[in-house]
Amino acid sequence: MTDTDSTTTGPLAPDDITADSPFTLPGFFDALAEGRLVAARCTECDEHMLPPRPACYGCGSRAVTIEEQPRTGEVISYTSVNRPPSAFDHLAPITVAVVELDSSARLTGRVDASLEDVTIGDRVELQVRDPESVDIDLDFDLSYEEDWPIHVFELV
Amino acid sequence: MSTANIVAVGASPLGRTDLPGRDLFSKALAEAFEELPDPADVVDGLYVGAQSERYENQIMQGTLMAEWAGLRNVPAERVEACAAAGALALKNAVRDVRAGVHDAVLACGVEKMTAGGTEGATNALGAAFERALEQRSGITAPATYALLAQRYLHETDATERDLAKIAVKNHRNAASNPRAMFQEAVDLETVMDAVDVAPPLKLYDCAPVTDGAAAVVVANDEVASDLLDREDAVRVAGVGSAANNLAVAERNLTYVEGANVAASTAYEDAGVDPADIDVAEVHDAFTVCEALLAEAAEFAPEGRGIETVEDPGDRSAGWTDVRINTSGGLKARGHPIGATGLLQAVEAYEQLTGRAGERQVTDADTALLINEGGVADAHTVATVLEAQ
Ligand SMILES: [Zn+2]
Repeated sequence: MTDTDSTTTGPLAPDDITADSPFTLPGFFDALAEGRLVAARCTECDEHMLPPRPACYGCGSRAVTIEEQPRTGEVISYTSVNRPPSAFDHLAPITVAVVELDSSARLTGRVDASLEDVTIGDRVELQVRDPESVDIDLDFDLSYEEDWPIHVFELV
Repeated sequence: MSTANIVAVGASPLGRTDLPGRDLFSKALAEAFEELPDPADVVDGLYVGAQSERYENQIMQGTLMAEWAGLRNVPAERVEACAAAGALALKNAVRDVRAGVHDAVLACGVEKMTAGGTEGATNALGAAFERALEQRSGITAPATYALLAQRYLHETDATERDLAKIAVKNHRNAASNPRAMFQEAVDLETVMDAVDVAPPLKLYDCAPVTDGAAAVVVANDEVASDLLDREDAVRVAGVGSAANNLAVAERNLTYVEGANVAASTAYEDAGVDPADIDVAEVHDAFTVCEALLAEAAEFAPEGRGIETVEDPGDRSAGWTDVRINTSGGLKARGHPIGATGLLQAVEAYEQLTGRAGERQVTDADTALLINEGGVADAHTVATVLEAQ
């Protein structure tokens, strides 16, 4: 079970760090596959970390908790990857953006739109895609990544 | 604490070369030791900056370079911080000499980037970016820096033309640098009309994929005075480094905070101010970096870093009179990833010892180097050098 409503704060105990904890990448992507985007939130300074981390890079505190994120946000920068790494060749040119979610958490992702249709300030919504439907070269995936979903933004 | 000095420098030719990495290293080493005793008689250990084993499928670069230098049973380590690996090798050498662990250490860097073609280089460099969300979105080096550039153009009154002028300036500087990969000037229209790589960055906004190696010998005062006349050594007066977040999204896109911390630390270590710096080699892997680093190094007011191209008298109030990237920078001198930080040191050594020929800056006494790895300030090493 992936616990996305944890009220736990404070340093993680060794036993908390398991593949179904959202503080680990497998747990984060399991939650994403179920439609829940989760970040860590620092209970000391309110920094959001996506994917979640066991400690806050803003203030150093380990008093972090898991918080489900809004799926909507705003493009704060964007560009086009005209010659992507080989595993992504068939998607080129790829529009990518840095998105600030409405919670203030930030992440980079592809935008499912042409470069000309994107600008700073645009509203976007996170979508979760099955890795097979994105058709990324299987050689790209590490063994533990094979079932992880791929995130992408759509303009709203 | 002992004083660390740079006593010799060497570099291979830069560009697409027919030599493997270890042979490029041999070139750099041969130049550095041309007028010195054998490396084994001078240095007690080495650090080698190397970004990726993917180019030549070879790790254990510390052992390999030690062998090629004729060293055996010495500490010999590869260090890695993507494009900051070279300066990290230098920093480690300086640390060992200052601490008295060694009397002299070889800092070197090598990268044979063309071995796997453009695709190989793109894939090897991609490993520098955060895996879970960035790499899995198909990101590349030009694209990550384009995200910084796009936001910089949005928040300041800088334009694509201003970025292009940085490329023009650095090509002009490289034209008088016999070490440079591109020894020819380009005009503004050529830069502006070039193909888009990752908008707003165009071909000439991007440093080239480069093969190359560099070697720098760091020694304490005793070894330095045994080997050379005093004015031929350059003192490493200050060092600083800092790691910021790996993911570009989680950093300030228009202010490279980690680079500011690294530079401030190096200034403090050296007991100098930004205004004391005469020449600076800053990490212009993409034109926007030069502007961002001019601000982070506190040469320029925020938002005015693009004026690196202007003569000191023509810059905004609050600018220092520093000359930036006299070598041509990564942009035009070339950017063999693991060697780049040491190529910056080579240029500063030549400037501070009056060996820079046509590009010599008059009365250059103090230099700052800023070498970055990952996207911008994911890892920054800053070094202050002083003429004797
Ligand atoms: Zn915090």
